[in-house]
This record gives sequence, structure tokens and C-alpha cells, in this order.
Amino acid sequence: MKKPTIVLGLGNPLMSDEGIGIFLINRLTELSEQFPEVDFFDAGTGGITLLHLFEGRDRAIIIDCAYMDEEPGRIRRFTPDQVKSVKQLAHQSLHEQDIMKIIEMAKLMEQCPKEVILFGIQPKSLELGEGISSELEQNIDDYIKVICNEL
Amino acid sequence: MSKTVNINVHHVTRVEGHGNIVVNANDGKIEKVEWQVPEAPRFFEAMVRGRHFDDIQIIVSRICGICSITHSLAATKAVEKALGVEVTEQADMLRQLMHYSEQLQSHVLHAGYLAAPDFFGAPSVVPLVAVAPDVVKTVIRAHRVANDWSELTAGRPTHPNTILPGGWSRVPTEKQLKELKTTLETTINDLVVIANAVLSVAGNIPNFTRDTEYVSLTHPDLYTFYHGDITSNDFAGKTVSVQDWQSVSNEFVVDQSTAKWAKWHRGSYAVGALARFNNNYDQLCDLAKGVAKMFSLEKGNCNPYMNTVAQIVECVQVVVAGIEIIDKLLTQGLQPLSKINVPVTAKAGKASGCVEAPRGILFHEYEFDNNGDCVAADICIPTNQNHANIQKDFEKLVPEIIDEDQDSIRLKMEMLVRSYDPCISCSTHMLDVQFV
Repeated sequence: MKKPTIVLGLGNPLMSDEGIGIFLINRLTELSEQFPEVDFFDAGTGGITLLHLFEGRDRAIIIDCAYMDEEPGRIRRFTPDQVKSVKQLAHQSLHEQDIMKIIEMAKLMEQCPKEVILFGIQPKSLELGEGISSELEQNIDDYIKVICNEL
Repeated sequence: MSKTVNINVHHVTRVEGHGNIVVNANDGKIEKVEWQVPEAPRFFEAMVRGRHFDDIQIIVSRICGICSITHSLAATKAVEKALGVEVTEQADMLRQLMHYSEQLQSHVLHAGYLAAPDFFGAPSVVPLVAVAPDVVKTVIRAHRVANDWSELTAGRPTHPNTILPGGWSRVPTEKQLKELKTTLETTINDLVVIANAVLSVAGNIPNFTRDTEYVSLTHPDLYTFYHGDITSNDFAGKTVSVQDWQSVSNEFVVDQSTAKWAKWHRGSYAVGALARFNNNYDQLCDLAKGVAKMFSLEKGNCNPYMNTVAQIVECVQVVVAGIEIIDKLLTQGLQPLSKINVPVTAKAGKASGCVEAPRGILFHEYEFDNNGDCVAADICIPTNQNHANIQKDFEKLVPEIIDEDQDSIRLKMEMLVRSYDPCISCSTHMLDVQFV
């Protein structure tokens, strides 16, 4: 049975801060007993798979690395209507995805949760390699607290 | 004819490198036609060095969100070969079953989300929802089936966490396999609907051919994605062992690209669905052959734009082959995990593993020390093997269409790149937003 809320961690843990969503979803999954109505999911870089993960949910919370023109390490909560995507897509490959476009598509297909909330975290480094930069690492407990408050 | 054309499609975003398309023609004379791939070098090979053999498939599964199962399987095969491990028949069958799910997932996405908008004349899949809502819904339904199939076998839709050197950490139950079979049987109808939808706009697939070398795995008894040896239409009837893959790829460096290129018997070769179709047509199931016939797609086809059609053919093939594997597993009776798995012990060794990614043949090679720690790795992805071929296609295509208007030339070149279903950079999906 699907739980009403799904929390999705997105990103690539082999690219430093680009993996912050995965890092946090692993931490949140350890707390899952506190949240019986919530599924936690490591969605990696699966892109359009999000459409299926959205289905049948009342609320989706997405955690991802985001360029927001902020200081590295800053976390911001927003809803899709509060931002516009400025991501440039080449439309050459399945391997680029814009989550904002997938949300738009889910709405068009009438399978978007009533509530979609994003937590964007401004990266410091996107170098190839495992591990989160210190600017983000020192805030991990705060990120967890902010996201848990939302739940 | 006195025509000036200047096409310069540049897609250098912050992290994701994409191919650039450059055409310069002055006074009707073509001065430059280039497929440039200015991608930053990738260091996955360095990243696995020093890691233990049972970590490798987990790490490489993150190389790509679309072909994560494929990378895991290529790595696991190489690791097992290096350590002298022979897996059981059921472990092997379950891996093939899992691998088919990714072919379906990726092909449906490519045909439905990336290529179909071209055929329907829509700029991307989002506006296609308005133009052809039923087609998009059918594509999404088929994609969901593929996703559920991956989740059942791989533990989640992407980045598998169920396979280990020597076998599996978790396998589906017989009940789940039966349910999957029922779902797959109904999915065949959806695939025929998708095929018919693409057929209705097949007139928009450019009519372009260039005699090409096609490289893929081949197997005498199987339309293979997983087993077999390497072959090409220039090497018909003969094969090269997967362990000797470097004698096939012959990777080389060119000025216009930071990605390595590849060549075998000619200056370039192609890999992917059309390559497999051309080399292994005889092993296709009748239903898949029937879909090929709908499009007049025949063995020996050298129109790169038809790769998308070959993918639709393969969608049917993998569903039928998946059902056959489930039947065989159920007839045998699924063994307990203790009998499916074999023990693996660390030792020094070096070997390669090869599988067909949805977008073409993929090679992984690893070397381990006595402790089973990785000391060297080499990964050769299908898209790099296609780059030289895309360049050769451009060189023939552009003179043929130089009389068309600039937008049409650009669109046909972009469609050509898309038809190869490239994996130019698949590492990052981050958001890039402005607050409004």
C-alpha cells in the first residue's frame, strides 16, 4: 500500500555535492519509524521514473542539489510555482532531465500529488568523487531538522 | 547554388557536456561539418581503484540513471570472470530477466520521450501531451511496467541493489514472477499500439542511408543482450572473445572531442539497437520480426534514423524473451537463495565483462590484487563508440540536404544525434532555478 507522502532524494553520489539528496535520504530512512505515513526513496538519477513514484501520492517532497544563486550550503524550501527553471536542455539524450519539467508533465497527465515541495541545497563542489564538501556537511543536522519539520 | 549556412548548436552547460553541431557553408561550398563532444573527462575508472571487488557494481551503477542495471551487470560479469566464479543457471537467468527490463525501460523512454516528438513535430514530450495524449499515456504505461519489472528484480527502478558477485542478495518469489508474466502479456498490446502510432508518422523519418559497420554481441541461439561474443557485419560468421574487446574498439583521440572515438574494420562503427538487429535478425522472435516488417525494416538497413524503430522491435523482443525466462524458472521451480548463489573468494585476476546497454555494446575491465582490491579499471561506453560514426554520417548527410533551409538542416542533424540515443553525460540531474 502506498503511503500518502513520498520523500525523494535525487542526485549522484559520485559527484560530490550533487549527491546531497542521496546522502540525506539515507539519513532520513534511518528515522523512518518516526514517520509511519511516509515512504523514503533513493531515486538517484532515474529522471522520468519520478512520474511513477508520484502516482497515487498526496504529497511529494523532493530533496536535490540546486543552483539557486545562493551561498554554498544554503537550503531553501520552495514549491514549483515559486520558481522558474533556467536549466538548458540539449534535447540530445535521455540522460539530462529537468525535474521541474517532469513535475509539469505529471500535472498535465493528472498524476501529480496535490502538494509538491522541493528542498534545494546550493552545492559547493560538483567534482567527480565521493563525499560531500564541508560547507554542506556541517549543516547536515540542520537539513534533517528542516525536512523533518516539514513532515 | 550560392548558399551560406552557419549552424552552431552549442550546449555547454555547467556540468553536463553535450555534443555540439557545427556546419559552415559559404557560397554553397561546405567548409566544416563537425560533431564535437567537449565533455570533461570522467574519472569513474579512478574512483573504483582501491575498492573491494564486491563494491564495484554498486559504484558503477551510479555512472548512469538510465543504464544502471547494464553497468552493474557488465561489472559483475567482469569481477566474476577475474575471480574465476561461475554463477548458477538460475542466477544467470534472473540476471538476463533483470537486464531485459532495462532495455524496455530505456527504449520506451527513448522512442516515446525523445524521438517521438520529432516524428510528431513537437519540440519536446511536454507539448506532445497536448498533440497525442493517448500515445503519451500508452508510453507512460509501458514505461511503468518496465520500471516495476526493474524494481522487482533489481530492488529499485534504477541503481540495482540486489546483485552481488556470485549471485543475488534477494530474488523475486514465484508468485511475483507469475504476476509479472501476466503484466508482460498485456504490455505486448501496448507496444503494438506504440508501434502503430510511430508507424503513422514514419513518413517523417528521414530517408538517409550510409553503408556502415555494425558491432554487437552475437549468440547462435539467442537474440542476445548478455551472452555471446563480439561480431560485426564486416566480420560476418566470425567472432572475437569479449576478453579481447580492445582489439575491436581501438579507441583513439581526436581534436574535436574529449571523448575517445572507436574504429574496427573501417574509420568508424555503430553500436545499438540497429546494430543488434542487423547482426542478430535471425534470432529475433516472430512477433518482433512482425513489428520490423510493419516498418519495412530489414536486415542490413543502414539508415541510422531507423535505430528508434529497431528499439521498438527490441521492446517486443525483450518482453517475449522475459516471459520465456519466467516460464523456464517456474517450470524448474525457483531455488532458494542458498542454491542460487555460489561463494566468491578474493584472489588476484584480471578480466573483462560485456553486455549490451540499450544504446549499444558496453565493456568493463578490472584487475584485482590478492586481497580482491581493484588496481585497474577500464570502461568503454557505447556512446563513445558511436561518435566517429555520427561524424561520418554528418559528412554524408549534410551535402545531401544542403539545399534545404537552415532550420531543416539543423533539425535533421539533431534528430540524427538523438537517433543514436546517446549517453553523452548522465551524471547529474540537479535543479537550476530562479525564484519568481
